[in-house]
Amino acid sequence: MEQLTALIIQKVPALAVAPWAVTLLLIGIVAFIILQFAMVFAGFGTYLERKIAADIQGRIGPNRVGPIGLLQFLADGIKLILKEDIIPTAADNHLFRMAPYLIFTGSFAAFVVVPFGFSLIAADLNIGIYYVMAVTSLVSIGVLLAGWASNNKWSMLGGMRAAAQIVSYEIPVGMALIPAVLIAGSLSTQDIIRSQGGLLGIFGWNLFHNPFSFFSFFLYMVAALAETNRTPFDIPEAESELVSGYNTEYSGIRFGFFFMAEYADVFVVSALATACFLGGWQIPFFNAASLPPVWANLLSLGVFMAKALALVCVIIWIRWTLPRLRVDQLMRMSWKYMVPLTFFNFLGVSLWVLVFKGKGIPQMIASIFG
Amino acid sequence: MSLKSYINDIWEAVTTTAKGMRITARYGIDVKEEVTIQYPEQRGPVFERFRGFLANDVKTCISCNMCVKICPVDCISLEAVRGADKKMVLVSYDVNIGRCMYCGLCVEVCPPKSLTHTGGFEKSMVARDEMVLHFIHEDAEVIRQRVARQVAEAAAKAAEEAKLAESQPKPAAPAAEPEKK
Repeated sequence: MEQLTALIIQKVPALAVAPWAVTLLLIGIVAFIILQFAMVFAGFGTYLERKIAADIQGRIGPNRVGPIGLLQFLADGIKLILKEDIIPTAADNHLFRMAPYLIFTGSFAAFVVVPFGFSLIAADLNIGIYYVMAVTSLVSIGVLLAGWASNNKWSMLGGMRAAAQIVSYEIPVGMALIPAVLIAGSLSTQDIIRSQGGLLGIFGWNLFHNPFSFFSFFLYMVAALAETNRTPFDIPEAESELVSGYNTEYSGIRFGFFFMAEYADVFVVSALATACFLGGWQIPFFNAASLPPVWANLLSLGVFMAKALALVCVIIWIRWTLPRLRVDQLMRMSWKYMVPLTFFNFLGVSLWVLVFKGKGIPQMIASIFG
Repeated sequence: MSLKSYINDIWEAVTTTAKGMRITARYGIDVKEEVTIQYPEQRGPVFERFRGFLANDVKTCISCNMCVKICPVDCISLEAVRGADKKMVLVSYDVNIGRCMYCGLCVEVCPPKSLTHTGGFEKSMVARDEMVLHFIHEDAEVIRQRVARQVAEAAAKAAEEAKLAESQPKPAAPAAEPEKK
């Protein structure tokens, strides 16, 4: 951001009187672009979800609005905006209004460190992974707030469950991401991706770095599914027991915010998994830095989006395959299985990095053959 | 919990998930599995004994009132007058499909089998009185007057014939008698 500001001021010297205004404007533009991306992805995500669900269940899915139903999400969005925004009289008015914004902010703020391309990142924070972990915790506060402020038994139960679940699964999520951090030696998402480059192609990915990081990827996906309240772990909004959990009392655009936050979360999870384990925007067998900047950015954006969307599809596929867990099963899975396994992985990767001086198995094999 | 059963649990979770995902992937990829009928454009078959809206063939109806009497919800109303040829003439035959529960009793009881169930099930309307199906489109009063006129004409004709027969005291009868023999 500062470099870009410096560049603009260099090009247009008249702006030098107020560099802070240029920075502010740039921040606004970037935030707007990312917000648009998040919203369009949320819409597209619902479409994708419904189509894949329909395919799996032998149905057709949305096909009336636009070509093959592609504009369905616009129709849904317009419907949500036009609907009456009902606030129950017994609800805590201010908290009830605030909760959707907290949830949406929590998942939207994580987009700041999502590395879309070679230099396409809103802010390359040097504490990237840590920042994501911290800022997505805001979601659990929002969910608890929504459940509490609705003054409704189902919402309350849903909110409590969500808080318990998100807090429990935050530990495995963090622990499963640490192998990537250890291998790269940095918390910045861009640094982590750069560490997975090289001429090894897909074998440069952290996924194939060592057996521990391989398992780490799957552990991360499972724990992240639970953290985003997706189906095998969607007990906070278990519609068969809690109507729809913490968002029972919400309608209109406030419900839309919950919905968008859910799909934004799905994308953030896929993007992080891509960045940490699947090589991020690294174009296989090419060094992105050696290409002209426009091509490097476009190609890396394409590669990153392809990987992230593939993971989104896998998450949706899992949703339409597995039944919902019970609350006690969920907690047992977190504390008895996920936490010990992720700690074991963490230990394994630490030892590996220490013993083999950060070299992965593919790298060793490559060095044997020269 | 022993370590063996712990690892076994993990193994089981992984394999069963993989198995389930293989099944859903197979269903997801196989497009032939689609069973949805795109309703307004495609339609499913209408079965032979489907009980849709009632339809009365007024030409064969004998106005016997059986359907009106058997209807449990009184949805059929029928009005008929005695015609010139001593047969009943329908003046109105209305079925209130808002009331009809499609039990089929009226169809079973109909002696000339003129009342039938059609395969129809699509009818939307904006007012309640549109729910009454009229099978006689002419105005009831017009039919009544016409039938009355026909009856009167027939009666006049009959009276004339009778008078004619009286004035000529059986000229044909004696002539006919020998023929019979």
